[in-house]
Amino acid sequence: MKRTMTLNLTDAEMRVLEDLSERKDLSKTAVLRQALRLYQRLDARVEKGDKLVFENDDTNEKAELMIL
Amino acid sequence: MSDDGSLIFLLDVSTDEAVEAELLCEVQECHINDWMGLWQPAMAKIRAELTARGIAKEKLPQSGHWNWARKIDEVDGLLDFRSFCITLNKVTQGLMRTDISQISQVGRIDGQKGKPLVYVDYLEAAPWNCSYHGSPVLYRGIGTALITAAIGLSLKEGYKGRIGLHSLPQSNDFYAKLGMTDLGPDAKCQNLRYFEMTPEQAKDCLGEE
Repeated sequence: MKRTMTLNLTDAEMRVLEDLSERKDLSKTAVLRQALRLYQRLDARVEKGDKLVFENDDTNEKAELMIL
Repeated sequence: MSDDGSLIFLLDVSTDEAVEAELLCEVQECHINDWMGLWQPAMAKIRAELTARGIAKEKLPQSGHWNWARKIDEVDGLLDFRSFCITLNKVTQGLMRTDISQISQVGRIDGQKGKPLVYVDYLEAAPWNCSYHGSPVLYRGIGTALITAAIGLSLKEGYKGRIGLHSLPQSNDFYAKLGMTDLGPDAKCQNLRYFEMTPEQAKDCLGEE
């Protein structure tokens, strides 16, 4: 079963949503569902004590992202 | 495909007739119990018989070590994983786990690079539905039905039928025959071959015009 809600976004947020929708070839709803899944997964890992680290294969740079 | 499940058909090899089976969009405790109580003893028997026949270790079933109880438990409650199973005569005939997160897997084929897809983490048919060096097969069509379910999920999520997976060597031919593009061995995934399906290939696979 699916449920419907109204979402209020600023112009800037809507621009980001439209850009992601275009680049990822997804509807705006699909982008937001994707974002929710990603947030849940990251939150679960961080809650377990894991760190979120980005690594660049070309430069070998690593950066830790803090999720609050 | 409904959220609850749907009717599908498998081929009963003994009668060469189609038989009704059920595709469920959730792996439940009873299916894991089948894996433990039925699949594992059957797999152990097949491995013992093949070993007794002198079949080399590398040619034994390659998914035999998969622990479905762990694979389902570790993603319990996470929105970006979906699990499927096929049952017939109240027995689990096939299992699949998919990842729709785009975290580690996105499109790689030119034209769909970076675009979302359903990544098939694991797909396995019950041991009695696989032919290992001439061993008898009970039902055919499990792998195709599960891949069809993955395509259906991709369409439902707005991914337009795109799917991807890393194949065990014994399954390479199967995925190639489904029309997936073989992108070759992936050094980042134990050198398993990576296969990807485009929206057009998905339409062909589903038999759509």
